[in-house]
Amino acid sequence: MAQVQVPVTVLTGYLGAGKTTLLNRILSEQHGKKYAVIVNEFGELGVDNDLVVNADEEIFEMNNGCICCTVRGDLIRIIEGLMKRKDKFDGILVETTGLADPGPVAQTFFTDDDVKARTRLDAIVTVVDAKHFLGQLEQGSEALEQVAFADVILLNKTDLVGADDLKKVEDKIHGINPYARVHKTEKSRIDLAAILDKGAFDLARILEFEPDFLTHGHDHDHEEEVKSLSITSDRPVDPDKFQKWMGALLQLRGGDIFRSKGILAIDGAPRRYVYQGVHMMMDSDWGSPWKEGDKRASKLVFIGRNLDGDNLKRGFEDCLK
Amino acid sequence: MKIDLSNPAWRQTLPPARSIAADAPVAACAFNRDGTTVAFALGDGQVRRLPADIKAAVPDAAAPLHKGVVLALVGDPAGDGFVSGGDDGRVLRIAADGSATELMALKGKWIEHLVAYRAGAVAASAGKSMFLLRDGEVREFGPHPSTVAGLDFSKDGSRVACAHYGGITVWSLSKEVALPPRRFAWQGSHVALRWSTDGKFIATGTQENDIHVWRVAQATDMRMQGYPAKVKSLSWTADARFLYTSSQPVFTAWPFSGKGPEGKPPLQFGEEGAGLLSVVAAHPTAEFVAGGYDSGELQLGDIKTRRSVVLKMADGSAITCLAWSPDGFKLAVGNERGDLLVVDLRR
Repeated sequence: MAQVQVPVTVLTGYLGAGKTTLLNRILSEQHGKKYAVIVNEFGELGVDNDLVVNADEEIFEMNNGCICCTVRGDLIRIIEGLMKRKDKFDGILVETTGLADPGPVAQTFFTDDDVKARTRLDAIVTVVDAKHFLGQLEQGSEALEQVAFADVILLNKTDLVGADDLKKVEDKIHGINPYARVHKTEKSRIDLAAILDKGAFDLARILEFEPDFLTHGHDHDHEEEVKSLSITSDRPVDPDKFQKWMGALLQLRGGDIFRSKGILAIDGAPRRYVYQGVHMMMDSDWGSPWKEGDKRASKLVFIGRNLDGDNLKRGFEDCLK
Repeated sequence: MKIDLSNPAWRQTLPPARSIAADAPVAACAFNRDGTTVAFALGDGQVRRLPADIKAAVPDAAAPLHKGVVLALVGDPAGDGFVSGGDDGRVLRIAADGSATELMALKGKWIEHLVAYRAGAVAASAGKSMFLLRDGEVREFGPHPSTVAGLDFSKDGSRVACAHYGGITVWSLSKEVALPPRRFAWQGSHVALRWSTDGKFIATGTQENDIHVWRVAQATDMRMQGYPAKVKSLSWTADARFLYTSSQPVFTAWPFSGKGPEGKPPLQFGEEGAGLLSVVAAHPTAEFVAGGYDSGELQLGDIKTRRSVVLKMADGSAITCLAWSPDGFKLAVGNERGDLLVVDLRR
């Protein structure tokens, strides 16, 4: 029996960026939709709602020798429990604590078969504090990684900074992750339709979109190591070679590759082949069919640390016919 | 009055059954202590009670007892009714007349698992702790390294084992002699737990689609691999000779008599069903086993003759729970869609 997959939005952001304000909006505003919200601290939310579930961020390492395969067992259990409800809901939001790596949450949705059958990861939404973001980058890798993982970014508290400072923050975000959609907000005020159930993970727009990469100065801050790059080709892809290459690449370098996504023109296939990965885990499926007149081209995107663009490009070219 | 799967009647016709549509997923089902009533834990907060006699009149549904989902349900070992646990954090004792009293309430927690011991004790899991409810008293054991994902009483009721990340913990329940808990370690997340009916073994299902079994006395352990999915349902036979496991298309039993299952393949028998077994339940006294599939198919197997018969055809709604009546002639079945089924195996 085909099951409806409930869209899941993962909400990340540094402490104080405005996640709680956003969640309170989602729970209290009249939008005609019902969301289950998985939070870390009950008390923070001012709304009494029986679809708010407390989670403990219980991370465990998969027993398969792969150090990156950390997942959230509590989420697996909670999603199973939510699916036993008679009243269904339109989506699930998972809040992560301000200092958490979004990796384990996202990987949970690649790892567990039951969770995969019932839900689909819709987007990773990161709330960024416009006033403090640049300072947070200095304090550790969390703020940086949260931006690198994001599909959608809420650049929040824009009312608290001047135009010049805002531009600096925007440039910085763009430099780390040019593929995320950025919405500028005050007090986390946003049309929920812009962030929920967007299918940001379905990658449809990757092909259409080519960011102009910013060239940075000569500073050697640690965040400079995190970057994104894309590879394109209009030659058809050999699926077996690609699987082998990507599998080996993620196995070897998955720790440094935060996100990988792509749309492939497989040799002789009538449909687009789309895939997306978080660290070492990857999921793929057939996407929309190629239509008459479509330019059959492939595109891969990597966001991560210490990416070797030439090496990746050579590797992909070996997979082409 | 005998269950005989080699009898042609068993192979050609489905046994008499009662089916009621409850319109909310069924999380658990159980018979009460004397086997006169069966109850189903539902996703709308109801505990739906039906007479075990499939010809008796069905009473109207009562109001929901829990706010949210009833996640766990057992027959009350100290009464004629049931004990239920919900995602509203409450454990309720439901009397034979349907009235409920609250045994425990933990705001913000889910009561995910309940097990009963016949001498009147109930153990509940909520978050990282296990709670023992006995004689009007609640005692907390824990915290464990992570949320308790399965628990069971020992054969004599003196201990409770809890599954969590990194292994299992066995608690001694005695108030007179306070023994430290014993930890049996195995990396990873353990998602189901059953203590063998002879008390010698504790089995868990893991997130990595394995089964892990510890010998309690020797603290040695073994691991069985090769399942295509997580094994969330485990059931020991009444004589503790076999451990049945879900997540295979046929009945799969590991032999624990003699030297144990090391180096041996499991016993697999019966007709291949549609999909994988989602729930297995060994018969309370005899050599039979009931198996519910994720396709909705229901089978009854007989390990002696290595045969099985279909009790219900696949219908697309995964079977979520099974319970045998104490006399072993009735089988309660619940599924994701909310069908409440009671099968009468007397012919």
